[in-house]
Amino acid sequence: MFVTDCRREFYDVIVSQRVLLLVASDVDALCACKILQALFQCDHVQYTLVPVSGWQELETAFLEHKDQFKYFVFINCGANVDLLEILQPEEDTYFFVCDSHRPINVVNVYNETQVKLLVKQGDDLDVPAYDDIFRDEEDEEELSEDESDGSEPSDKRRRFEEEVIERTARRRQRREWEARRREILFDYEQYEYHGTSSAMVMFDLAWIMSKDLNDMLWWAIVGLTDQWVQDKITQMKYVTDIGVLQRHVSRHNHRNEDEENSLSIDCMRIAFEYDLRLALYQHWSLYESLCNTSYTSANLKLWSVQGQKRLQEFLADMGLPLKQVKQKFNSMDMSLKENLREMIEESANKFGMKDLRVQTFSIHFGFKNKFLASDIVYATASLMESIEKEGPETTNFIKALDSLSRGNLDKLHQGLDLAKKQLCAIQQTVASCICTNLVISQGPFLYCSLMEGMPDVKLFSKPVSLCLLSKYLLKSFVCSTKNKRCKLLPLIMAAPMDVEQGTVIMVGIPPETESSDKKNFFGRAFEKAADSTNSRTLHNHFDMSIIELKTEDRSKFLDALISLLS
Amino acid sequence: MPVVHEHSERMKKFKNKGKDTAALRRQRVEVNIELRKAKKDEQILKRRSISIVSLEKSPSPAEEKNTIAPLSLEEIVEAVNGSNTSLQLQATQAARRILSRQKDPPLNQIIELGIIPRLVEFLSRTDNATLQFEAAWALTNIASGTSEHTRAVVEGGAIPAFISLLSSPHMHISEQSVWALGNIAGDGPLYRDALINCNVIPPLLALVSPVTPVGFLRNITWTLSNLCRNKNPYPPLQAVRQLLPVITCLLEHKDKDIVSDSCWAVSYLTDGSNDRIQIVVDTGILPRLVELMGSPEMIIMTPALRAIGNVVTGTDEQTQAAIDAGVLPVLPLLLRHTKPAIQKEAAWALSNIAAGPCQQIQQLITCGLLQPLVELLDKGDFKAQKEAVWAVANLTTGGTVEQVVELVQSGVLKPLLNLLLAKDSKTILVILDSISNLFLAAEKLGETERLCLLVEELDGLEKIEALQTHDNNMVYRAALNIIEKYFSGEVRELLLLLI
Repeated sequence: MFVTDCRREFYDVIVSQRVLLLVASDVDALCACKILQALFQCDHVQYTLVPVSGWQELETAFLEHKDQFKYFVFINCGANVDLLEILQPEEDTYFFVCDSHRPINVVNVYNETQVKLLVKQGDDLDVPAYDDIFRDEEDEEELSEDESDGSEPSDKRRRFEEEVIERTARRRQRREWEARRREILFDYEQYEYHGTSSAMVMFDLAWIMSKDLNDMLWWAIVGLTDQWVQDKITQMKYVTDIGVLQRHVSRHNHRNEDEENSLSIDCMRIAFEYDLRLALYQHWSLYESLCNTSYTSANLKLWSVQGQKRLQEFLADMGLPLKQVKQKFNSMDMSLKENLREMIEESANKFGMKDLRVQTFSIHFGFKNKFLASDIVYATASLMESIEKEGPETTNFIKALDSLSRGNLDKLHQGLDLAKKQLCAIQQTVASCICTNLVISQGPFLYCSLMEGMPDVKLFSKPVSLCLLSKYLLKSFVCSTKNKRCKLLPLIMAAPMDVEQGTVIMVGIPPETESSDKKNFFGRAFEKAADSTNSRTLHNHFDMSIIELKTEDRSKFLDALISLLS
Repeated sequence: MPVVHEHSERMKKFKNKGKDTAALRRQRVEVNIELRKAKKDEQILKRRSISIVSLEKSPSPAEEKNTIAPLSLEEIVEAVNGSNTSLQLQATQAARRILSRQKDPPLNQIIELGIIPRLVEFLSRTDNATLQFEAAWALTNIASGTSEHTRAVVEGGAIPAFISLLSSPHMHISEQSVWALGNIAGDGPLYRDALINCNVIPPLLALVSPVTPVGFLRNITWTLSNLCRNKNPYPPLQAVRQLLPVITCLLEHKDKDIVSDSCWAVSYLTDGSNDRIQIVVDTGILPRLVELMGSPEMIIMTPALRAIGNVVTGTDEQTQAAIDAGVLPVLPLLLRHTKPAIQKEAAWALSNIAAGPCQQIQQLITCGLLQPLVELLDKGDFKAQKEAVWAVANLTTGGTVEQVVELVQSGVLKPLLNLLLAKDSKTILVILDSISNLFLAAEKLGETERLCLLVEELDGLEKIEALQTHDNNMVYRAALNIIEKYFSGEVRELLLLLI
């Protein structure tokens, strides 16, 4: 069921309990987790935090802890499957689910006792009506019960409307109802998409309880920005939510608004920005950022000689000397930086890049630290999927979580460095895929498979990195191809996962169009294709459109997928 | 090494079917699946109870379809009382529809409209079969309510109208009349006899023929059974004699509902004085009833068992007729039936047979009924145990010494003594009676001491002694009586001597 009063039905309930927090591995989840942790710290709530990267870990974690805990909080996991079915909790166990995955499983929605969904009110969920998907089986029971017991016949009987006809009509109705139910559920479950960021939902909770701090607000911003960077929500949704957060930002940060000298060692200030969508540019050189940002790289077609030329023209148009552009942004001439954003925007417009500036937020703390929300997202995501193995599995998670705290600048900087490497790797891989024509049209979708031995291929065995690569690749491909039909196709991307085991990780993403609703049908399609071919697949990821697959089964799986979607 | 292990573990989880995560999990938690199913159903139930309000509000599509142009109650009255035939039909149909909806038909409101006499009038409109039918249906449904409702229909003059409609050339009208008359007869002995006095039986029986459709025949059988139903007074003997031959025929039908209702009719007819039982016995249907008693269909077995149970409450001859019809070999099955109600009914029949002369008791023993009786005493449903206790008491009262010995040898003592812990004083008294009877038999054989030891061994003495503090005076006295008679004096002295 949906929780309507977050404070009374959720927080007040768990505040006196021992709570198990199950947190998925995405930046939004981490941010939501940070907010909740801060609240818990205020109220001395005892909790245990368990990172979970997929359904298997989720289930194991539940089994391990179900005896000690009765209250479980799921962050960015759990909403889109029948939790009661897969976890079989005791009756006195309660699940609180704060998850942006959509569609929400209907049993979770209509369970009134054990599953409580924390969802932003007003989110467009389109859950089928109860009566359309659940039906009492009384009709049949009545009939069979009548026949089995030997009680005395009634002394009087009423004749109902056309008994016999009605019975067959009822049966027909039931068949129709079932067909309609299937249809409704199919429509409802067909597309995967994302709802309001969990960090924002948690921030709302804090705000309702008047316990919201500027830090929490920042985490909410980062959570939302993660959804935008990962391309999980529509532009419209992003802008709307930015507006919501902007009100909170001005409420929290109005005090120092017009004082120039407000900087101090422990100050923290969040500001709305209409800034460049150049990845990490303030911590990089402008040149490198331009080269490694998907938007500019795709639009300028930087993988070609032509494209490189265009970049030079672009820089020349802005009147920025190469020497300045290629050195660290921090060290650029102040005079150049003054009107930089407007200058770049103006030139970008000429080069067909109308959306180079976006609404976002920045954070200042101390004397010299300034970050854009997207900087944090890139850094945290890179830390989480770092392939430099050290210590147990959870190390990355903890590191990423820590990097979100203001006090852990060193980790954040480490993350920024990793993020730069990641973006470079993505850009190079995109360039090589396009130049060697690795993106093939399969009819209903585009397909690209990374080969073992390609540089950085290991990086893309991780889901978030692979998704990011897929999205950048698709954008670039759409810009590069002249085939109009191909521009409208979704993309499936495969990368080697575990060579020893002979498995690949596969992800499907929706088409890259201006008006994209970011809805993804690959989750269901993957299930069906695997089903019909008996392919050995593992649907372990919280996003159903990310699966693992035996390499040998790949071709039959793809064939099934093609015929399914054609 | 651990890494490799981890990998192979992981690989195990690759399943051949890609369906969904749930399928994968089933392996791990196989054992709990049943449990979970149950739990889930429960949860669905819970969900259901919450949304029930909203469910009720919206009419079902079928209802909607039928109320395209619903008439208001006022419009119905006006049209029914008017002279326009087509409006009369329309209004009668509207009333019938309201009365046949599933939930809360407004019986009172319709009666208060005062349209019943008009509806009864419509029954005789032979020129308009549809109107007759709709009126008959509407009146049927009004008569299906409480006694008040039925009375409103009868006082509207419906009985003669319906009886004459039985011979309508339209089968659906005659069937509807059968149904209406069934409702009137089911109200109680008064209207039942009113119908009989209006000579309902001959035209009703005339409807039964080899070509009557099964559905129609079901309705007829049910109405016939209602004519046999209820006591104070019983239906007139003359009527019973008229009905029985047809009911006997219907007992042979293939349709289980028809057979069931016929059985019920017989069970009503046998539920009375011995002369009424005799009429049934004379028809020679006992073998068929015994056969039906062994039917796997609960709806047949139950009334057949009840009818036979009624018969064995009769005279020794009537009971013998049931025994001759083969009731004894069927009883063990029923005594061991899973349904407590059947166990009880069977034990009741057994107790009545055990109340007969010792020849009948001997037949009972010969047919192997002691074993299931003891089992029932030991493990049966409490109500059935009570009946079984009666069977024991009757057997120890009327049986020969040899027969009583056989009973004891079947192991009756242990469960019998255990039942002394029951809360029900009447049962305890009957048990104590039986024990006294056992001792009387033992005395005749000179085996009193052996029986005493047996009772002591089974902790019976302890229980009987405890009963001396029982609240019920009769229980106390009966217990005291046994102890004084068999467990004091000599026995005690003997025991003391041994020490």
